[in-house]
Amino acid sequence: MFEQFFYQEKGLFLQSLHPAAVLTYLGVLLVLALIFTNPLYLLGLLLVVVLTISAARGLATWETYFRLSLGMMLLVILINPLVVHAGETIIWRGPRLPVFGPLTVSLEAIAYGAAMSVRLLTIISVFCLYNLIVHPDKVLSLLARLASRSALVLSLATRMFPAMMRQLENIREVQVMRGVNFNAGSLKERLPKYAGLINILLLSSLEDSLEIAEAMQARAFGSGRRTCYQRDAWRPRDSLCLGGSLLALALAVYGQVKGFSTFAFYPQLGYLINSPGTIIILIITLLALSIPVVLSWGWQHWPYFKARI
Amino acid sequence: MLACRKILFPLALMLILGLLLASIKINALLWGQGWGLLASVIIIIALALLYWGFEQGRVSTREVAVIAMLGTIAAVSRVPFAGLPNIQPATFMVIIAGFVFGPRAGFMVGSTAALVSNFFLGQGPWTPWQMFAWGLAGTTAGMMPFIFPRTGARVMTAFCFLWGYLFGWIMNLWTWTGFIYPLNWQSFMATYAASFGLDTLHALSNAAFYLIFGPSFVKILQRYRRKLAVTLLPAEIREKASSMTGMLF
Repeated sequence: MFEQFFYQEKGLFLQSLHPAAVLTYLGVLLVLALIFTNPLYLLGLLLVVVLTISAARGLATWETYFRLSLGMMLLVILINPLVVHAGETIIWRGPRLPVFGPLTVSLEAIAYGAAMSVRLLTIISVFCLYNLIVHPDKVLSLLARLASRSALVLSLATRMFPAMMRQLENIREVQVMRGVNFNAGSLKERLPKYAGLINILLLSSLEDSLEIAEAMQARAFGSGRRTCYQRDAWRPRDSLCLGGSLLALALAVYGQVKGFSTFAFYPQLGYLINSPGTIIILIITLLALSIPVVLSWGWQHWPYFKARI
Repeated sequence: MLACRKILFPLALMLILGLLLASIKINALLWGQGWGLLASVIIIIALALLYWGFEQGRVSTREVAVIAMLGTIAAVSRVPFAGLPNIQPATFMVIIAGFVFGPRAGFMVGSTAALVSNFFLGQGPWTPWQMFAWGLAGTTAGMMPFIFPRTGARVMTAFCFLWGYLFGWIMNLWTWTGFIYPLNWQSFMATYAASFGLDTLHALSNAAFYLIFGPSFVKILQRYRRKLAVTLLPAEIREKASSMTGMLF
């Protein structure tokens, strides 16, 4: 079940970007999702993220994320109107509750809850995109320059995770062959069987870890300057994506200061579009953010373009 | 370099404090939207500091390998239970790892387990908070033997039970600062009340795991902690020994 979320190499354009460029792009998406309050901007951002996910052929994975985040979105939409009394357009008056005071549900609070759930979905989608297009090893190799020892712990653990899942399955099968029935008996009888399973896993994997340490020692780990096994190339596509992300960030900060990308929910809903600036900034920001999608499309359909970037 | 190391820690603390103070102003600047972002930034700075501490300390190759392995075991133990909300032996594994191997290893096991298991269960904005919460569980478990030298199974069961709630409460801070408005006592209480049932489930399962698996797991880990200690003989003694054997022939 866990393979679905793990990075899969599909030979896509988005997967060929330099880790620094991809991380900047995803970081900008995340920051914008956190600072925008205008529903138009939030929806536009969500649209760009979903488009990029579809360019990474990850819509099926995204559906799982969507289903997982539905529960939290509902919670946000429910809690907000119940505890917020700032809205003026009251659409329902309920009984008085001990902690919360009078129970009133206002239109503004519902609108705010809905906007926040769009934000939540956008943030979760950005992480879905991260899982689809960034190989953990690439990030770890970037991290290894700053903190080599922590990066080693993380990459060792990432590599051993699937191996250990298989090992657990092996131990279980051996136990079954020896006559242990994991499905029989009450909970009290079954627990010692599982305890044995994990005991064996703990013992054998700790023994393995000592062997790994000896192998590292034998290869002179930590005896001097680290050498570099693989370097990622910086190509024109990376500069384009990086430039787009930085432009979008600058525009967003400008829009935030000028009030284009913000929206007043309380005490009464404000206007979605205050001035032409709102639309102009929105369109340029979204275009700058969709550079990777456009490049990905060109990369697939235009061999000359593919050779140039 | 040494001076730079000494300065970094107070500098980062100042930065966190400065961010907290600035939040009063930044909050106005971002129209009340800055809290979720700000809280996450503070958590990430704290994580960076703790990782930096691990980077600077004296850690042997064997310790690195054992920490990575324990982190993986804790991460793997999350997966079979991923469908059940909040029944996670991961918290229990992190606590016993910290209890046996000390605070620094405890933090590394906890944060590694969170990050690595999320590579497979899905990374999200919750990742830094989970890394922080589990890292803290490992660290505090590592401090238990120093504070209470005669910590027995009963105390540790209670400790595991308590961390079931603490973990949920730290994660609630993320939900509350990130997605709830306004940030007042009522919404705080509502968020915490909403998670109370799940937190209780987590606490009870933690205590149960410690009661059933605790003593035998601690015994295994203590055996490996003894195996970790390797004393390397200085090179000159070896040279002397070889020259002595040379003299014999």
